Amino acid sequence: MKYITTIDEKEFFIEIIDDRHVSIDGKIVEVDFESVRSQPVFSLIVDGKSYEAYVYDGEEDLEVLVKGRLYHSKVEDERERRLRAASGGDVVDTGIFHLKAPMPGLVVSISVEEGQEVKKGEVLLILESMKMQNELRSPRDGVIGRIQVADGDSVEQRQKMLSVE
Amino acid sequence: MFNKVLIANRGEIAVRILRACRELGIQTVAVYSEADRQAMHVRYATEAYLLGPAPSKESYLKGEKIIEIALKSGAGAIHPGYGFLAERADFAQAVEDAGLEFIGPKPFAISSMGDKAIARETMMKAGVPVVPGTKGTDKLNDEKLLELSADIGFPLLIKATAGGGGKGMREVKNIEEMPTLIQSARREAKAAFGDDNVYLEKLILGARHIEIQVLADKFGNVIHLNERGCSLQRRHQKLLEEAPSAFVDDNLRQRMGDVAVKAAEAVDYESAGTIECLVDADKNFYFLEMNTRLQVEHPVTELVMGVDIVKEQIRIARGRKLSFAQEDIKINGAAIECRINAEDPHNNFMPSTGLISHAVLPTGPGIRVDTGVYTGSEITPYYDSMISKLIVWGETRAQAILRMRRALEEYKVVGVRTNIPFHQAMMDSHPFMGGQFHTRFVEEEFSMEHIAEGKETFPEVAAIIATLVQHEQTERAAHVVRRNVRDTSNWKWLSRWERLSK
Repeated sequence: MKYITTIDEKEFFIEIIDDRHVSIDGKIVEVDFESVRSQPVFSLIVDGKSYEAYVYDGEEDLEVLVKGRLYHSKVEDERERRLRAASGGDVVDTGIFHLKAPMPGLVVSISVEEGQEVKKGEVLLILESMKMQNELRSPRDGVIGRIQVADGDSVEQRQKMLSVE
Repeated sequence: MFNKVLIANRGEIAVRILRACRELGIQTVAVYSEADRQAMHVRYATEAYLLGPAPSKESYLKGEKIIEIALKSGAGAIHPGYGFLAERADFAQAVEDAGLEFIGPKPFAISSMGDKAIARETMMKAGVPVVPGTKGTDKLNDEKLLELSADIGFPLLIKATAGGGGKGMREVKNIEEMPTLIQSARREAKAAFGDDNVYLEKLILGARHIEIQVLADKFGNVIHLNERGCSLQRRHQKLLEEAPSAFVDDNLRQRMGDVAVKAAEAVDYESAGTIECLVDADKNFYFLEMNTRLQVEHPVTELVMGVDIVKEQIRIARGRKLSFAQEDIKINGAAIECRINAEDPHNNFMPSTGLISHAVLPTGPGIRVDTGVYTGSEITPYYDSMISKLIVWGETRAQAILRMRRALEEYKVVGVRTNIPFHQAMMDSHPFMGGQFHTRFVEEEFSMEHIAEGKETFPEVAAIIATLVQHEQTERAAHVVRRNVRDTSNWKWLSRWERLSK
């Protein structure tokens, strides 16, 4: 299988040759890859060097923690890549952004109104959790769509609270 | 003299106190909320009683119920730990009135230090230097605060008189910001302490947060256990503490120690307490507040001074004299504590809740982990985000830093995000290594990305791992589909067909 893997905006062409060999950007390396049972912990030995990694499912990507550093990664196989290229590329900055509660908590105050224009980085809402007030900010410029919560509401994790269009 | 102690707390500190009691051969009574039924402190205690539902107000803050349980179970004393009821004079009084021993200072000492405005007055009278700011103990309205702010000068801090832990605190850069920030400080103070009274204090730039641990018995003996450096904070929450402080020399240590003892004597202090000070670049120090309780960061002092502070507290409450005189107290080596919080340092320290599916604690020489969580425990939004404290000791500060690096690398928590990567970055930061940092360092100068620059990175390794993980997932998904097709075996089809045709 051939994959195009993006790590923090840098692309790598990776081919899985067999259980023991992969090629990365045309260079063949010997790998020994084990996952620790029932844990998101992986052990990789590449050419005798041992690496331990934690892999989490992020919002839109896989997050890989190696030696204290977090790498955002996106893995596509060749076919996916061709399909995406044919459909006209990324659709990152358009569409609706839904602000979801990153954790269960209490809505302290909503700083915006429906239909209001917001800039990237502007505070949308204050959510209290674990005795701390957390400011949730807009990831981009846009207009506030529907607000689905009110001051004083308790929210569950990943509950949609409002949208930026 | 009591032989059974009720611990009115949860989490790591409840476990810490339980351990001291066990070593002293004292029976223990745990109390818990519905969310904590499986918690370590419940399982470790001799007896355990339910307080109520998960929210603190309905459980760990129910003083009356806790006293009732103490009386019913025959506990002779209550240890409040930190947070919750630890600095509530009315609770300490109620404990005393019920004929029980409160393991901590007398209600008078708590109340005179609990209201920050009164504490400042008391300290000034005792000749202890305080941070310049509003004077007196009257409640100040918004207009008055606005007027006084001009005299104090900007930048300044709005602080809640009932405050602590940075709640109800706002930094103000100019007079235009005052009205809004007073409102938000009052709102937060009201929510946290039920009291929206605030006062003003000049913001000392480039200050370090240095605190002195004191111990006092019922016979008027007061000693100090030297200082802790607690300048590494974020939003006024301490993240890392050390003893001794790299910034404090012998002369300053002596001066601060003397003043701390004087401050404790001014309120007839008893038990363990901490005098928090700000120290400016010229080594002038100012009293900030006194914490009339055991502190989160007490272990760093324990490791370098060789004093078990919790056991001393219990001895003192039992009417014994201090086991140490001031001249017995010598600094041995250096200790660092990292607070491990369920917060994501890669995402603006957003709290993270969830189930801890796996935890590997660091062990080996010179390492101590105080924790109340375990594999299978759930981090809920009801309590604060600290899940454990990692404390290391070394012959020197440099040795302690190296050991902390090693320990952080061993520490694995799966299920929630933790700030371990933040601490790892801190251990690699030059200002930290050189002891050149003040209370605003984390917010103003420190960045995870910056530390990562120049360090060896492993994007290829990450790419290989991500690809293999994705590949395995795809393969497994394909496998499951194939197996499902095969599962409906021909024998089953045959039997169904036979039944149908009967």
